[in-house]
Amino acid sequence: MFREIFRFELRQQLRSPLFWLVAVALAALAFGAASSDTIQIGGGVGNVHRNAPMVVITMLAFFSVLGLFLITIFVAGAALRDFGANTAELMFATPMSRGAYLGGRFAAGWLVSVVVLVVVAIGMWLGSMMPWLDPARLGPTPWRAYGWALAVVVLPNLFFIGALLFLLATLTRSMLGTYIGVIAFFVLWQIALVTLGNGNIEHQTVGAIIDPFGLGALDLATRYWTPSDQNVRIPELAGMLLGNRGLWLAAGAGLLAATFLLFKPDREGLRWFRRRKHSNVPDAVPTINVAPIVLPVVALRSGFVARSRQFRKLAWFDTRFVLRGVPFLVMLAFGLANLGGSLAFSGEIYGTSVWPVTHLMARAMDTSFTWLLPFVLAFYAGELVWRERDRRVGEVVDAFPMPDWIPLLSKVCALAVVTVLFLAAGSLFCMAYQLLRGYHHLQPLLYLQFIGLDLLSFLLFGILAVVLQVWANNKFVGYALVVAFFVAMIALSQFHLSDHLYRYGSAPATPYSDMNGFGSFWIGTLWFRAYWYCFAIALLVSAALYWVRGTTSGWRARGRVALQRFGWPARGVLVAAIAGFIALGIFNFHNTHGLYHYQTYDEGQRLQANYEKDYRKYMGMAQPRITDVKVNVAMYPARRRVDIDGHYVLVNRHAKPIDELLVQLPVPDTREARIDLDFPAHTVEHADPKQGFYLYKLATPLAPGASMDFGFRMHVAYDGFSNEPAGEQFVHNGTFFDSFAFPHFCYDRSRELSDNNDRRKYGLGPAQRLPKRDDAAAHGNNLISCDADWVHFEATLSTSPDQIALAPGYLQKEWTEGGRRYFHYVQDTPILDFFSFQSARYEVAREKWHDVNLEIYYDPQHPYNVQRMFKAMRLSLDYYTQHFGPYQFRQLRILEFPDYASFAQSFANTVPFSESIGFIADLRKPTDIDYVTYVTAHEIGHQWWVHQAIGADVQGVTMLDESVAQYSALMVMKHLYGPTKMRKFLKYELDRYLGGRAGERVEEMPLALVENQPYIHYRKASVIFYALADYIGEDKVNAALRTWLDKVKFQQPPYTDTRELIADLRAVAGPEYQNLITDFFDKITLFDNRMVSATAKKLADGKYEVTMHVHAAKYYADGKGKETRARVDIPIEIGVFAEAKDGVEQDEKPLYLAKVPVKDGDSTITVTVDGKPYEAGIDPFNELVDRVSNDNRAPVTIE
Amino acid sequence: MLTIRNLSKTYPNGVRALSEVSLDIPNGMFGLLGPNGAGKSTLMRTIATLQDPDSGSIRLGDLDVLADKPATRRVLGYLPQEFGVYPKVSAEAMLDHFAVLKGVTRRGERRDLVDALLKQVNLWDVRKRKLGGFSGGMRQRFGIAQALIGDPKLVIVDEPTAGLDPEERQRFLNLLAEIGERVVVILSTHIVEDVTELCPRMAIIAQGRVRLAGEPRETIRALEGRVWRRAIDKAALPQYRERMTVLSTRLAGGATLIHVLAEAKPEDGFESVSPDLEDVYFGQLHHAASNKAA
Repeated sequence: MFREIFRFELRQQLRSPLFWLVAVALAALAFGAASSDTIQIGGGVGNVHRNAPMVVITMLAFFSVLGLFLITIFVAGAALRDFGANTAELMFATPMSRGAYLGGRFAAGWLVSVVVLVVVAIGMWLGSMMPWLDPARLGPTPWRAYGWALAVVVLPNLFFIGALLFLLATLTRSMLGTYIGVIAFFVLWQIALVTLGNGNIEHQTVGAIIDPFGLGALDLATRYWTPSDQNVRIPELAGMLLGNRGLWLAAGAGLLAATFLLFKPDREGLRWFRRRKHSNVPDAVPTINVAPIVLPVVALRSGFVARSRQFRKLAWFDTRFVLRGVPFLVMLAFGLANLGGSLAFSGEIYGTSVWPVTHLMARAMDTSFTWLLPFVLAFYAGELVWRERDRRVGEVVDAFPMPDWIPLLSKVCALAVVTVLFLAAGSLFCMAYQLLRGYHHLQPLLYLQFIGLDLLSFLLFGILAVVLQVWANNKFVGYALVVAFFVAMIALSQFHLSDHLYRYGSAPATPYSDMNGFGSFWIGTLWFRAYWYCFAIALLVSAALYWVRGTTSGWRARGRVALQRFGWPARGVLVAAIAGFIALGIFNFHNTHGLYHYQTYDEGQRLQANYEKDYRKYMGMAQPRITDVKVNVAMYPARRRVDIDGHYVLVNRHAKPIDELLVQLPVPDTREARIDLDFPAHTVEHADPKQGFYLYKLATPLAPGASMDFGFRMHVAYDGFSNEPAGEQFVHNGTFFDSFAFPHFCYDRSRELSDNNDRRKYGLGPAQRLPKRDDAAAHGNNLISCDADWVHFEATLSTSPDQIALAPGYLQKEWTEGGRRYFHYVQDTPILDFFSFQSARYEVAREKWHDVNLEIYYDPQHPYNVQRMFKAMRLSLDYYTQHFGPYQFRQLRILEFPDYASFAQSFANTVPFSESIGFIADLRKPTDIDYVTYVTAHEIGHQWWVHQAIGADVQGVTMLDESVAQYSALMVMKHLYGPTKMRKFLKYELDRYLGGRAGERVEEMPLALVENQPYIHYRKASVIFYALADYIGEDKVNAALRTWLDKVKFQQPPYTDTRELIADLRAVAGPEYQNLITDFFDKITLFDNRMVSATAKKLADGKYEVTMHVHAAKYYADGKGKETRARVDIPIEIGVFAEAKDGVEQDEKPLYLAKVPVKDGDSTITVTVDGKPYEAGIDPFNELVDRVSNDNRAPVTIE
Repeated sequence: MLTIRNLSKTYPNGVRALSEVSLDIPNGMFGLLGPNGAGKSTLMRTIATLQDPDSGSIRLGDLDVLADKPATRRVLGYLPQEFGVYPKVSAEAMLDHFAVLKGVTRRGERRDLVDALLKQVNLWDVRKRKLGGFSGGMRQRFGIAQALIGDPKLVIVDEPTAGLDPEERQRFLNLLAEIGERVVVILSTHIVEDVTELCPRMAIIAQGRVRLAGEPRETIRALEGRVWRRAIDKAALPQYRERMTVLSTRLAGGATLIHVLAEAKPEDGFESVSPDLEDVYFGQLHHAASNKAA
């Protein structure tokens, strides 16, 4: 019996064209992903092979998720077949067993889903075999990975989700209930992703367990895998991954068992609520009515009033249908649950939350609704368009004298109401959350604006879904078309086709910042919305023409009807819509392409490649150096316009005269940009405005030692709008740009393509991110500039009267003239050629530290952490002046800038600081990591470690500024919060380092040779420097830094490099730590330290003898992550701890703690302690880089 | 007067649903009789503007039904063969909704109309009840109520009595007869009595063709003296079928009773019966079948 049902079902499924459609479509996608760069799934980038085992596994896992919605059709289809075809009663009347029936159906549905994924795997494999692929990016076919992925990821995933859907379908006996199940499932998954993806490492394990697809657990198991690991290794089925798989397999089995138990092979199915029986009112009076029919005379109206009444009535009727339905409420509840998940983690940094400001709430709402709402709209578009026909009311209503557009528009209207309700409910939810978090600055009007913007976007999709349903004239084909639209949009993005002119419904983003509001970014958004609404109206007209009334079917018949209906009103609207579409298209094109430079991704890359090919030969060309900078910067915030009148003094420091001047000008994305240069007589040798690259022949060569004037007048304005928000530096409130916008006199290496695969495509050799450390010529320039050393700086800024304009230097004078506010700043000591210019409506707080003026310029909405920043400034200045040397300025200022970027940056005595990374941090919980103090201390550190000591622009240079600033900030933090609390921070840093090296695209470098790799110069450096201070002593590290600083302070070229600093560190470290410094700085070193077991014996004198079996191993990794075993030759900390009263590991008191020489490999260490030991550990505080940090401690067994 | 000329329709799957159908339908009840699948519903839907024929024309007085659908719909009342309801809506609310869609947008007018209709079709007492709980007969009466909104000139009811119990059926037909006094009412059915009892005019349609059109009495008279009846042994039926035009067979008290069409008494044992519409109907069907076979 089972076999017969299974066989029958399988044949039904395999014969269905849908099955082949789904399988082939997905396989084609997999083929594309494996054989081209345009579809990137799975992470086969950089040094990771396209067909690396991990890529195969990730891709198959991805497809098992993508297939979810389609697999629903198979599994639920199997469960619902008999109900859909009305054969249920026939089936149930046969003597088959429940088990055979359900088992057969489920097994067949599941097997079919598996077959789809196998077809996908074949598509992937074929893709990786294609002859056009770069053989350097392919490894051997990883058959084991295919098998592993199918067995460990695909089969269990499909089993679980299949069982869930099967249960839902069997119990609800409706496709609808099953759809809701899919959404529920998707929400669960989203929550898992949110908890896992936000970087809060405390929630990772929860996220890994509750992710039913196992992607979280897979990520947890492989997140530290280097490219070389990813190319050869297959994850071990153990730990969290095994737990996850087991859990969800068991859950699937449970669901299946529940299905068997709850399934009732009868007509009624499962009843959740026992319905009240209909009271048996006898049918109407049985008298035979033979009275003549007398009906009141009514007029059938068709005027405008009547039409609008009909529309209103029908719209309300359709809306009520949606709102009263359970699915709507369920989906809304899911949406809000999901929103709750994203709200809780939005804006978190280092696990510390931020104040729930409204635009963050709106952004969280955006992320949690962007997939859900289209899903809901697509679903209801189908339900609404088919409402009459599904209920078989269609034939009745279709014969009514009502125009075709009324039902069509009423469906669209219902979708609009659904969208508004979702957004409104989301907004109320967000406000409740804000109040709950103790944030009382509610902004209902701002929510309304977000709702309006979102509605415009979602409704365009809703209209499309309705139109597709009408066109398709088959609900499931309609749904399939909607899915196809999604896929097409994703494909367009994958091909980097991002012009809103041809992406239906899309528009430039509308970034929001508390400081600048929507700025003028909403303008482009609305114009593009208008453009697409014209198109949508044209679509609606076509839908009205093709709206099916009665049983018309087939395109020819519908075409005839459409032609009949195509009267003047329809023509008028269609022509107007198309005219509007074209006119707005021209207008938008004029803005995005005419007023701005629009560049496709490929064009941008080609431009980068050509820049290198054409101009790299000029790198290092003898050029004069800037010694004086004097600028007049006029900012017009309301018009987003800046006029700069600048003046340089250039000096020839070379021994030979310079007769050729290389000028690199910025190439702004707005076309309203003019730069006029003014310098001694010259002729143009080469002009390339596209790259901003110019060569001039000086009429009179600049003699050695001589100087020349160089003037430049720049005018930049951001009018109209661009395809994506541009010119965030020039806004209504919160202008912030820097001196990279000025002319410079050297080849700009930062424009080179950095990814080696991209470079190969354009015929370029491997990337050279930084010159080698022994490149003597490269020592002529520092990190910041290639055409200047220390310069004199003076600036006059003007802005609108309500704003304050700031630049480095001391304010000499402030005045108002011609309705504008002027500021004159002079820096009286030479500084690096690196200046910031800011203007905003600021609140100013001032304090003093000794005779240094401390100032914070902040937005009045963000007063929260100003005092904390002052404290961090004082503590930093205290520590740094005490240990490193004097502070070179008489002022120190922090200036808030809008949320368009999230960093802080240190200019001379001036620190621009993004509103998102500190100004709104919510530090009311004392256990949270105080990253406000950390960032502030780090930036102030740069006043020493950039603005006093700066390295040559060679390998390792960012260790000298970023890593040392990181160390300085850690010391400030340590003295403020104590070493225990630092460990939470360092745990994040270690995690981010290990995760960062997994994503390395070119080559991981040791710290001393770091090539501007943030995961190394910040994250790894934190771990290493903290450990170094712990090993050799904070005083010694500080002494070495001071020695080094004294040598290199305000150094002229040649500049220093990491060899000098490391030598100073070696000098103080003592012989026992020389290997340690080598491991830390000159190598990529990983440890595998484990406390295998620990036992203790109580001695006669009451003391305890603790015997520890430890494993210590060290590995050196190469730049691709390939590891070689090395001998452990540094001391490692060994600790024995007493039990903490509160059971918290952090509070355990050490009975023994010392850095001792540990033998390589397994060894036994015995120590005697005074108290009762509870736990023992090797490197118990995870100071060394170790991928598995939780096996360093083990409980002590008392014998 | 509804004039149908040369209406043909072939479905994409090759089924020829209508073939050169021409009919003249005056005011009053018009019965359209035919077996399942004869093309009745296709014809009804076509007249109700819900389907386009491949060729042919339909005129209602001066109105070109196929060309000016909106105008046709204004004078149309249509009760389709199968129609559903929104189960959670009450009869009154649903009728009100339909009235709006039909164009009765004045609230006061509409309320009076809905009340009158509900009373007329005897649903007044159950007007607040959800349509989901209605019996088949109540539902059909609701259907006719909606078809009567707006004083239609052309009422089309497609197999309305199928599935009704005798009493309901009677009640329903009375209602139709009442309407039929003033406007064109087309009633399609495969139940011969419906037509016999109600329709002054009728047509028989089979395999997409009009087999016969006229007044029922006239058509019956044409068979006068040509229908013979006999009780036979069931096993002998095939023989009879072979030799004679057997119109109908029926079980009566354990014996098989057959009606045979013949110009004279076919053989002993047959007795003459006065023909009824059923004999006409089966005669036409038989004719159609043998035409097809030939």
